[in-house]
Amino acid sequence: MIKNLIASALLVCIGYVASAQAYVQVTGEVSKTLKLYEADIAKMNKVSVSLTDKDGKDHSYTGVPVLDILNNAGVTTGKQLHGENLTKYVLVKCADGYQVLFALAEMDTALSKKTIILATRADDKPLPEGKGPFRLVVPGEGRPARSCFQVVEFIVKFAKD
Amino acid sequence: MRNSLLIIIGLAITTNTPTPLPLSYPSYFGNRIYIPADNPVTVEGVALGRRLFYETKLSANNRISCATCHRQEYAFTDGKPFSTGVDGTLTKRNSMTLANLVWVRNFFWDGRADGLEEQAATPLTDEHEMGQALCKSAEKLQAAKPYPALFKSAFGSSHITAEGIINAITQFERTLISCNSRYDQYLQEKYQPTPSELNGMTLFFANPNPEKQVRGAACGHCHGGPKTFNELFHNNGLDSMPGDAGREGITKQPTDKGRFRVVTLRNIALTAPYMHDGRFNTLEEVVDHYSDHVQSSRTLSIFLQDNSNTTHGKQLQLTAQEKKDLIAFLHMLTDSSFITDKRFSDPFKNK
Ligand code: HEC
Ligand code: HEC
Repeated sequence: MIKNLIASALLVCIGYVASAQAYVQVTGEVSKTLKLYEADIAKMNKVSVSLTDKDGKDHSYTGVPVLDILNNAGVTTGKQLHGENLTKYVLVKCADGYQVLFALAEMDTALSKKTIILATRADDKPLPEGKGPFRLVVPGEGRPARSCFQVVEFIVKFAKD
Repeated sequence: MRNSLLIIIGLAITTNTPTPLPLSYPSYFGNRIYIPADNPVTVEGVALGRRLFYETKLSANNRISCATCHRQEYAFTDGKPFSTGVDGTLTKRNSMTLANLVWVRNFFWDGRADGLEEQAATPLTDEHEMGQALCKSAEKLQAAKPYPALFKSAFGSSHITAEGIINAITQFERTLISCNSRYDQYLQEKYQPTPSELNGMTLFFANPNPEKQVRGAACGHCHGGPKTFNELFHNNGLDSMPGDAGREGITKQPTDKGRFRVVTLRNIALTAPYMHDGRFNTLEEVVDHYSDHVQSSRTLSIFLQDNSNTTHGKQLQLTAQEKKDLIAFLHMLTDSSFITDKRFSDPFKNK
């Protein structure tokens, strides 16, 4: 009985620790800061794009267009993407500290022909542990260097030089 | 009349202003450096900071200074797995080299200090390191010649403050730039590496690809570029069950378990023992680890998984000669002028 109690107490503890959930944030030049958990991303519309990975093969990635995420945060996309807003950039940060940069215009399908997504699945399977839960997928690039793993934040800012 | 008064005041201010000290370093290091606007590097500030770095009055027992655990001859490490602080207990982690810090943003093995100023307060006040409140340190220095005068020339006031102590020390730390190793001389086309060094360098940066017969050790993904580090946090496979949670302790994210900051490999031959817990005594042990003993776990870096020189291999599996070559390259990163540079040495000894 006591053993059981201890065991269930332990389980509760472990359950609690494991529930420190991954999320992705949108900050900076936004009308509202967003913090999206896996469940929030799951509710959003999905698209699939193809990416030639490091293994040289094409893989199908499924996820949310980054543009939709930026729109939810009130970033100046679409018709608002003109004038000084064209000097905005998006810095994407990953859990390991890796960072990659985009012009905001690259994220907007009104200006750029490719759809950049925040993928949660690859070839219809969840992403492997070290790459998920959120991987940026940038189709059409020579090297997948900007298709980074474990995305944790999109920071939108003005270039001020 | 009014104008000339203004000019006189202006002159008085300029003569009291500390002289800016430009940092010099090769262009291949890039300019992504961090110097807060309110703590520019100056000649006077650095001179004071150097003295404070070696000043034992900053510790509770007047016996420990920064240099106790960061000794110049070891590229500002102390040669021990863990260091002993004022209270005789051991530090939780291995002392770190202090070279090229002006390019670093997140300090300590787990990156918990955001900027050098924030970092410096820790060893000064930590009960297991120097163990003295900053206001107490300021009080002791206020009573010790020549400090009031040195603070006046560095910061314009002889009233010594905690902030002044930290700012001077961090200014000195920002000048600790190591850029005269044989690798630098090679990058500047002044040194021709030996065949072994050249092969080591190739292996260091190359990703293995057995299908295309490319041999590699893939160190460069993390320790890349001329600075030999990218500011990343990775689990480099030391343990399958990490005893020290590392980065997870800061972010509380399970995906960060056993992740530590990728540190510079500059002067690595001088900074044994290695890793956050000083577990490896030699570079041979380090290279054996990466070649043959990377431990898998849920958070093992994706860049160390199934990265092998043999088809379907699990480990790098370098040959004995390749290991020697890699180590020859690591020795190229030693900068003997850095560890003998008078600008960084103990001012109490070399008068
Ligand atoms: C008792 C030994 C000890 C003393 C004294 C000490 N340090 Fe350290 N230092 C360490 C250890 C151990 C670490 C790594 C600690 C960690 O990561 O938790 C470290 C880390 C650092 C780092 C981080 C380097 C990096 O790349 O992140 C800096 C900078 C530093 N010390 C500067 C100083 C300064 C300045 C002083 C004096 C004010 C000082 N230390 C005094 C032991 C010491
Ligand atoms: C996936 C990223 C990654 C790769 C690839 C990598 N390292 Fe590291 N390295 C690290 C991290 C992280 C640390 C600090 C780990 C710790 O202390 O727990 C480290 C530490 C070290 C240290 C000890 C530094 C010190 O001051 O104690 C040496 C030496 C080293 N690496 C050499 C190499 C060599 C040689 C290679 C290639 C064979 C390599 N590394 C590949 C991430 C990496």
